[in-house]
Amino acid sequence: MAVDADVVRLRRGDLNALSELIARYQNRLYRYLLRMVRQPAEAEDLFQQTWLRVVEKIRSFDASRNFDAWLFTLSRNLAIDHLRRTRPQSLDEMLGEPLANSWHGETVADRIPCKDDTPLDHALAAERRTEIGEAMAGLPMIYREVLTLRFEDEMKIEEIAQVTAAPLSTVKSRLRRSLEQLRYALEARYPGGTWQ
Amino acid sequence: MTMSEHDKIRDLLALAAADALTSAEEKQVAEHLRSCIACSNELETWRPIASELRRLPTPQPSSWLVQATLARAQAKLAEQAEHDWNRRVMIVVVAFAWLLTIASWPVFHFVAGRFASLLEPQFSPTQFSYMQFSCTWTSFAAFTALGWLAGGVAAVMLAVRQRGERRLV
Repeated sequence: MAVDADVVRLRRGDLNALSELIARYQNRLYRYLLRMVRQPAEAEDLFQQTWLRVVEKIRSFDASRNFDAWLFTLSRNLAIDHLRRTRPQSLDEMLGEPLANSWHGETVADRIPCKDDTPLDHALAAERRTEIGEAMAGLPMIYREVLTLRFEDEMKIEEIAQVTAAPLSTVKSRLRRSLEQLRYALEARYPGGTWQ
Repeated sequence: MTMSEHDKIRDLLALAAADALTSAEEKQVAEHLRSCIACSNELETWRPIASELRRLPTPQPSSWLVQATLARAQAKLAEQAEHDWNRRVMIVVVAFAWLLTIASWPVFHFVAGRFASLLEPQFSPTQFSYMQFSCTWTSFAAFTALGWLAGGVAAVMLAVRQRGERRLV
């Protein structure tokens, strides 16, 4: 694995390296935290704490290892500690909490049409994304986590195993169960819809 | 193909849509799908879910949050750099102080021996220091060493306490 030059520079205390790393990971990290805790204010606080922890621990990080996995592990530990303190039931929850309105954090840029050809296609696709986003937000935390790491961050199963400190077989079964739960949730929320 | 194998493949279909199968599992699934329409249809049900999950909008942190994070992290880096510098200076100062202390032992030994021989001239400085003042200067050396050790222990305890307080903050 190639050594990340910014990480090496940060280990030497280079402030520019820090700003480049934050710029590179800000969207992925914030999205991951928001999927974990669901509340934007809490995700913002954890986002700051994660980078402070990075600065604190960067010297103990082996630069030849995967920085992505290390960064997400740090933020995961902070998020789990936070959930344990504020919502102990979140870790074992089988039913989701009420949704925050801005859970999926849609921005103006997200509304720009991409692969959808007509305004109708675009509207339908946006509706499907809203449906799936809301259904996903209702899943337990460990399922939301594995879904976002696999589909949104496009992490490999091995990387997810590193982040979550779980064996590969556990990650795979968690991924399968999360997809099944998501499908059940979609079918239950939108009976007769396009998800069946 | 037995029923249990069919069920096993069916369990893999969600993972197939997530591109999370090993190459051996992929082969197994592909082979099964050629002869099983039910599983092919099932896989087609999983695909739009996987596809839409990949296209969920990415929430973006506000520029204020990024700037605030950067400012806090930079302050932390600066604080750490200062802490490192202070530690280095402290190590040099302590090493220098130890050097001075150790150097003072033979000086004390020599001066004390000379002083004793002036008080009691019948003894040569060497005899006197060996018989009486060797004990005195060894005590002095032990006393200074103990003083330094006690100081070191106190400094370590203070550092541990400060670290604990910083964590609480």
